[in-house]
Amino acid sequence: MSRHALGKVIIALVALLVLGVGGSELYAHRHYKEPVVLGPGVTRVERLSKYHPPLKGTANDSLVYVLEGEEDGGAVLVLGGTHPGEVAGILAAIVMVENAVPIKGDIYVIPHISRSGSTGTQPSGGYPLYYHIPTEFGARKFRMGDRVTNPLDQWPDPDVYIHYPTGQSLSYVEIRNINRCWPGRPDGTLTEQTCYAAMQLVREHNVNIVIDLHEAELLYPVTNCIVAPSKSATIAVMTQINLSGDFDIHTEPSPVGYRGLSHREIGDHSDAYPFLLEAPEPFLDQPTGPKTEALLLEGVDEFLLAAGKRGLLFVDYDETGKSIELRVGRHLTTTLAILDEWNFNFPEAEIIFECPGYYEMLENGVGAYLRNPDAVDPSRVVYD
Amino acid sequence: MFLTVSLILAVIVVAYIVAQSRLKLSVELAMLVAALVGAVVAGNYLPLRHIAEGSVTYLDLALIFFTATLFMNIIKASGGLDFTVRAIMTRFGNRRAIALILLMFIMLIPGAITGAGSVSVLVSGGAVAMALASMGISKQRIAAIVFLLAGLSAVAPPVSVWAMLTCAGTAIPYVGFEIPLGVPVLVLGVFTVLWLGLRRSEGPGDEAVALPEVAPDVTAGRTILPFLVVFGLIVAARVWPWDMPILGLPLVFMIGAIVAYLLNARKVNFFQVSVETVTQLLPLLTTIIVIGIVIQLLTLTGVRGLISYAVIAMPLWVIFLLLPITIPFSEGVLGFGGAAVIGIPLIWTFNSLGVHPTVALSGLSLLWCLGDALPPTAIIGRLTLQTVGYKGSYGSFLRTCAVPWLVITAVGTLMVVFSGKLAPILVFS
Repeated sequence: MSRHALGKVIIALVALLVLGVGGSELYAHRHYKEPVVLGPGVTRVERLSKYHPPLKGTANDSLVYVLEGEEDGGAVLVLGGTHPGEVAGILAAIVMVENAVPIKGDIYVIPHISRSGSTGTQPSGGYPLYYHIPTEFGARKFRMGDRVTNPLDQWPDPDVYIHYPTGQSLSYVEIRNINRCWPGRPDGTLTEQTCYAAMQLVREHNVNIVIDLHEAELLYPVTNCIVAPSKSATIAVMTQINLSGDFDIHTEPSPVGYRGLSHREIGDHSDAYPFLLEAPEPFLDQPTGPKTEALLLEGVDEFLLAAGKRGLLFVDYDETGKSIELRVGRHLTTTLAILDEWNFNFPEAEIIFECPGYYEMLENGVGAYLRNPDAVDPSRVVYD
Repeated sequence: MFLTVSLILAVIVVAYIVAQSRLKLSVELAMLVAALVGAVVAGNYLPLRHIAEGSVTYLDLALIFFTATLFMNIIKASGGLDFTVRAIMTRFGNRRAIALILLMFIMLIPGAITGAGSVSVLVSGGAVAMALASMGISKQRIAAIVFLLAGLSAVAPPVSVWAMLTCAGTAIPYVGFEIPLGVPVLVLGVFTVLWLGLRRSEGPGDEAVALPEVAPDVTAGRTILPFLVVFGLIVAARVWPWDMPILGLPLVFMIGAIVAYLLNARKVNFFQVSVETVTQLLPLLTTIIVIGIVIQLLTLTGVRGLISYAVIAMPLWVIFLLLPITIPFSEGVLGFGGAAVIGIPLIWTFNSLGVHPTVALSGLSLLWCLGDALPPTAIIGRLTLQTVGYKGSYGSFLRTCAVPWLVITAVGTLMVVFSGKLAPILVFS
């Protein structure tokens, strides 16, 4: 073998080694299962494929936690992880599963509606693979996911995505974005089928309210807010007024001309009242320092602080950052406040449940409301 | 953090200079070494996962490059390219302006449909270059025409990836872009092709190249059918989006390549053409793999965030003034990533200052397309030189682009600055 050929072989072997070792971390991340402890309110656990059988066995056959109250009432569906990088929504949903106690009506919680996305990473994003929430019994570990469905589960993309059923053109990557694929399509892509399954759940159980938990950049005007279509607007505005003493929150109207979003399509294609909640997540902004786990959980960034001083941000931002406690707490308390307002307007379909909220999160931390999977009956632990 | 990240950026720049000038490494390897040094200085001593992850950032693009080039190489090997050029020039060769404008449309269509200027270069670039050569235009000017039209094709509606990506990140519907994108592209395309092509070149060796001879067994049907298959599949996906399976551009081009091969199986050695295609594209594929890794490492170290901050933190008049530099260079460094890193925060900033986002984004798209000729990636610029067969220096190619480049820059920048005044004229939906 000539020196030239030998050199090529060595370079190829080094490249394979780097890809093999580096890729093994990505493989482990894709297959990591998060433990979830079934709290006192959980009466059964389903999968989305119950509502759309073709999803069975796919990466998006997500777990649906059902919490049924002793008294009949209305029903609410809470969606976490539409965008798996927006972690406060996922954690808020898991806190509900592990702590909420339903009194009247039913609660359906899907912490990972885009489960596939939670098993992927964002190439060029430089994200951490996991994040850890400290608890008294040690850290609980969660997958840090990508915004869209993992291409290992849905590929290739078209050169342009055409939304069903409106025909609106969107960027090609949006075909893997749960929040551009509502109301879904039974024979569509994995992402469209996932939305369709959730819509079937809404229709089958006559769900009254759907709350989609998100996070947004500080440079993005649609943050610290409830996004609502006109049918949900009164409840959203009253919720905003009721919460004005607790934290900054405002109502954004759901644009009629921008299709595929949960706050637009769920309301248009069912009787449910949709709401999309946005909490501020500095990690998502482009002008930040390294994308570390600390930035994700503490939300303190010097570049953003400087941007804030120049008036470039749409939220108040100081050295205290935007912690995970604040963001999870906002989502929980806003959800409870929406239900309060719903109950006031529709007493015939009341939904009442107890769950820790904003002040509990700020005081005790999110970890205080995550249960120890090793300290409970194994039949009360599921791996997601 | 400002100081730390700035120092890391300085180390990366120094490492790049040393790797290129002292170690004599290629641009791609020097970038990779510099980014790795930056990662180590930032405390990421063995970022293997980031290298693996970053290397697949542009996997789809790499597959499109390979399959589209294979498709065109089979057409070329079968004599179809010669046939196409001869057909165009025999019919319109005497009416120079009309022939040039027709060639412009042939360049614009593939990129307009797919959103990728590279597809225009790969699908139409070879045939258009031969036609232009037969009109007595120098290779230098041919390269400039092909590159600039390919760039404009990527801006042209219905698919402008820069606008779509920025819309997706800013929750602006991708509607109402047909006129603000389409009208400037057509006007600038006509200007470009006439400015660079109307005069014959008069340098040594710039004589009109004789039209290529066409073998008698090359027919219109055999030449056109593979193109019809490719465009048919692309258009069908648009017309029946919910009935057609999603093939993806790589498979569409592969199907086109197989059809072209089956129609010309006696003349074309599929395996040999495939090997030659890989050899031909190796430098380009290397570049996009390395760029993916570099961007990942720049994000990991915070340098990407620092650059993004630096752009949006400037006063508005400075932002406007520097748009002709920052926007094309963001494309040169980050590819479509420039739309995410700079485009999205910029549109948010503009939005809060009353700038009309649709017109402004259309103007920015005109600036972004120019960046595809800029280092360090210069992906479409290099692809163009390869397709056209221009052997001169890269600098001379860029100099030839200068006048249309400046006009496109002026139009793009003015569209951003005066977006509010232009909106009632250009935006109807």
